[in-house]
Amino acid sequence: MTKQAKNNLLFWLFLAPALFAFIMVVIIPFFMGIYYSMTDWTAVAGQKPNWVGLSNYMSMFDDFAFRYSFLRTFIFTLFSVVSINAVSLLFAFLVTREIRFKNFYRAGFFIPNLIGGLVLGYIWQVIFKSVVPALGAALGWPALENLLLLADPNLTLFGLILAFTWQYAGYIMMIYVAALLNVPQELLEASDIDGANFIQKFWHITMPLIAQAFTITSFLTLVNAFKQFDILVALTNGGPTAIYQDQVVNSTELLAMHIYNVAFKYNNMAEGQARAIVFFLVLSVVSIGQVYYNKKREVEM
Amino acid sequence: MKKALSVLMVLALVVTAFVGCAPKATEPAQEVVIYQNKVEIGEQLTAFAAKYTEETGVKVTIKTSGGDTPYAENLKAEFQSDRQPDIFVIEGMGGYKVWESKLAPYSGDKWIDLTDLEFKVNDQVFGFPVAVEAWGMAYNKELLEKAGIDPATLTSQEAYAEAFAKIDGMKADLGIKSVVAMAAGPDMRWVTGLHNFNGYLSAGLPYGDTTVLDKLNAGEADMQRLTEYADWVEMLFNYADKSVLLTGNYDAQVGQFATGEAVFVHQGNWIDPWLATNGVTFPMGYAPHASVKGEMSSLFIGAPSFYVLNKDSVNLEASRAFLDYMATSEAGHNYMVNEAKMIPAFTNVTLIPEAPLSADVMKWVGKGPAYTWLQNDMPDGFGMGTIAPLYESFAKGDITKAQFIEQIAAKISEIK
Repeated sequence: MTKQAKNNLLFWLFLAPALFAFIMVVIIPFFMGIYYSMTDWTAVAGQKPNWVGLSNYMSMFDDFAFRYSFLRTFIFTLFSVVSINAVSLLFAFLVTREIRFKNFYRAGFFIPNLIGGLVLGYIWQVIFKSVVPALGAALGWPALENLLLLADPNLTLFGLILAFTWQYAGYIMMIYVAALLNVPQELLEASDIDGANFIQKFWHITMPLIAQAFTITSFLTLVNAFKQFDILVALTNGGPTAIYQDQVVNSTELLAMHIYNVAFKYNNMAEGQARAIVFFLVLSVVSIGQVYYNKKREVEM
Repeated sequence: MKKALSVLMVLALVVTAFVGCAPKATEPAQEVVIYQNKVEIGEQLTAFAAKYTEETGVKVTIKTSGGDTPYAENLKAEFQSDRQPDIFVIEGMGGYKVWESKLAPYSGDKWIDLTDLEFKVNDQVFGFPVAVEAWGMAYNKELLEKAGIDPATLTSQEAYAEAFAKIDGMKADLGIKSVVAMAAGPDMRWVTGLHNFNGYLSAGLPYGDTTVLDKLNAGEADMQRLTEYADWVEMLFNYADKSVLLTGNYDAQVGQFATGEAVFVHQGNWIDPWLATNGVTFPMGYAPHASVKGEMSSLFIGAPSFYVLNKDSVNLEASRAFLDYMATSEAGHNYMVNEAKMIPAFTNVTLIPEAPLSADVMKWVGKGPAYTWLQNDMPDGFGMGTIAPLYESFAKGDITKAQFIEQIAAKISEIK
């Protein structure tokens, strides 16, 4: 055996365990999923699925609830990405200043991320259902006291974005902190001497230098908002209902939850699988587009 | 040499990874595995099974999944993963259709003659009723007495309308917030889409009558019944507290009744344990739902779930013997009534549950034919997924009663 061949063998041997696991739990299920999405599979053992071609894909766009769910998911994602990035950038700025207890703040902002989404959803449910009215009573504002926040579709969506921001902003903040600490101080000092104000420094020096972080944080927030499921289940369970184009719809039934409901509540496993594949494709296209766009704005020192 | 050794080690590692997946050796034959969905009776059932093992030497293992973890999904996973249980649980026709190819019928089992509530398809018995449950309008006896209303008169929409109006006028005297504790929010879709809607399907009809259901499954609505039914829904919503109605969860709804802030609650006797843990002691009972016009004479009584046999089990006989023992022995009755706090479906049981609502249900069972549970025989997801949101919108006032009727009829006609 030549040295080259030996190296090759070693390479594959070391790779084998990881590759094996990856193929078993990612690659094979993925292609099985594509296959199942073109059948009438119901997940009962022993029942052979029948091939139905693309009919699961064709029927999904006729489903009003699916189109509405898509729309709401885009709205939620858009607002979440903006809100999380704005809040976490602000936090990152604050905790990289010379202030007392800054490590305490860093930890404090980060901790909500360690709470599971379900727990967090229930916590916010209590806040919206009990704390907010109690606050209204204490302040003597009847409008706030009698506010049924989780019965109003738009307020609920904002409540959801608030809860998600609260959970995720601390994590994203850490990425911004790392990026901000890498911005060379001499550049900022030099611009100070030249008389640049805060806005100018931020826009022309800091922003381009942390563009790399923006690529990562936008990607993470976008993907996570799009896939949002656990906070949703605990906080709103898809409700409240709203009227959209004369139809009663579930205003916060975002895509992941919609797919879950189709597959498990309506017991249409194959249809749910087909929607999950479309979900995957759309998310891939959107996130690849975002990374491509953000990459172009990055600068090298 | 060293290299050869490391290559060997890696090989060993890979091989172990594969060995880990190898199927286990065959298990002892006499072990009955029950995969069930009631978290609240898991412990009691396990204790009963242990007693059974002591007596007969047959090992019975109880596996539980339910409550917040979805049983149906987990059961599918259980079957896919080859840990097939010998006995599992279905909830009526929907479950039967999913699991049809996996079920073995019972025949000649002793318990079959002791109940009317077994699950039958084409005269073959497939399901052992786990327990009897019922729902109606649970009322607070003390408050009704104070208001001067005899619960025995609450049998029609007219009687309810009069009583509700009277109680509503006495809110301050009675110390209540609303007449009815009713919930129609996103967490409570089973109350509206399944339990309340079952009134449309079966209230006032003879036991086992499925004409309205059959029409629904054929995509046809009974407009007369639906219109009458909408009056009932409207009345419940009108006399309910808005915050519980729109955003309340189970605790909020039952809590309103438990604290005496509401006279009625639209719930079944499964709230007994909740009331017991929270120290509720006032006397209570059930009145029928006046879902449609006419005199109502019973509650919705049925068996919510059934133990079914896995056709491929090697322990079929042992499984059936265990269920027979549960239905026919003293120990079994004691387990069902006193330990698990259930109402048994069998006529040979003489024990009476101590929980107030369950005891009242047993009285109603004795009074004559009940109204059938048909809510689980609608297409999957229709009750909770398709029509329940309409109730919520109606409760909020987003749609009118006419639109409510029209949209439910439209959803029914979408059923193939």
